[in-house]
Amino acid sequence: MEELEITAKTVEQATEEAEKRLGIGRDQFETVVVKEGKSGIFRGEGALIRVKPLVPLEKDIVRVAMEVLENLLGLMEVTGAIKASSGEIPIALDIEGDDLGILIGRRGQTLACLQYIVRLIVAGRLEAWLPLSIDICGYKKHRRDSLQKLALRLAEQVKLRRRAMTLEPMPPDERRIIHLALANHPDVVTHSVGEGEDRKVVILLKRG
Amino acid sequence: MKELVEYIVKSIVAEPDKVNITEENSDMGLLIKLEVAPEDKGRVIGRQGRVAEAIRTLLRVKAARADTRVRLEIL
Repeated sequence: MEELEITAKTVEQATEEAEKRLGIGRDQFETVVVKEGKSGIFRGEGALIRVKPLVPLEKDIVRVAMEVLENLLGLMEVTGAIKASSGEIPIALDIEGDDLGILIGRRGQTLACLQYIVRLIVAGRLEAWLPLSIDICGYKKHRRDSLQKLALRLAEQVKLRRRAMTLEPMPPDERRIIHLALANHPDVVTHSVGEGEDRKVVILLKRG
Repeated sequence: MKELVEYIVKSIVAEPDKVNITEENSDMGLLIKLEVAPEDKGRVIGRQGRVAEAIRTLLRVKAARADTRVRLEIL
């Protein structure tokens, strides 16, 4: 990764500037102080530091991820426009286009596979495993909203009927949405049961 | 079909030069045979076959578009 030279009045100010420009904290880049900088009203001299990022920068991750995703879509003969939403963690890419249901697959399985392959390739290129999320026409976003609503509705049912309820089998990221939605619920707790593809969330009444 | 497998596999193995992919047509559809360096076999299969399964899933997307069937065999 490329080095960056920064001048400022003091080393501290230069370091702050580096943090701002790179978008990462000072523990994530290596700093070499070239010139300390002297204070003085008339003959003050600026500080010069050289910094080198130790982690991949967001702009690099987005660039590589978009390139990989574009290549994959091209090879699968799927047309879609890729948009990156900036400043989000994990870094999120959304594919927009017509007729992309085929890329989502049953219960989002194809999308999960696509995301996994992109992560693998990007991780290999940048030599770091990075949080990266791929969505198609806002599918995951909608799914998250409806799962959260479903979770709250079922929690009410569990409370009223005083009986546990089991949801349909779901992939790990969707189960996680349910668990998180009810993590602070006063009346119910959640667990997962079953193995592999059959794993599902159970909502139980909290024992007081 | 081959190009899709080739792109993915060459991007994730340690020795891309040792990747060898052949295609065979049969009445069952297309059969893709993938050969990699022995040390890379684990990378293309993955824990519990996760990587191989993901490659197969993406292949199926393309096959469905072309209205054919495709199988991927790792040698």
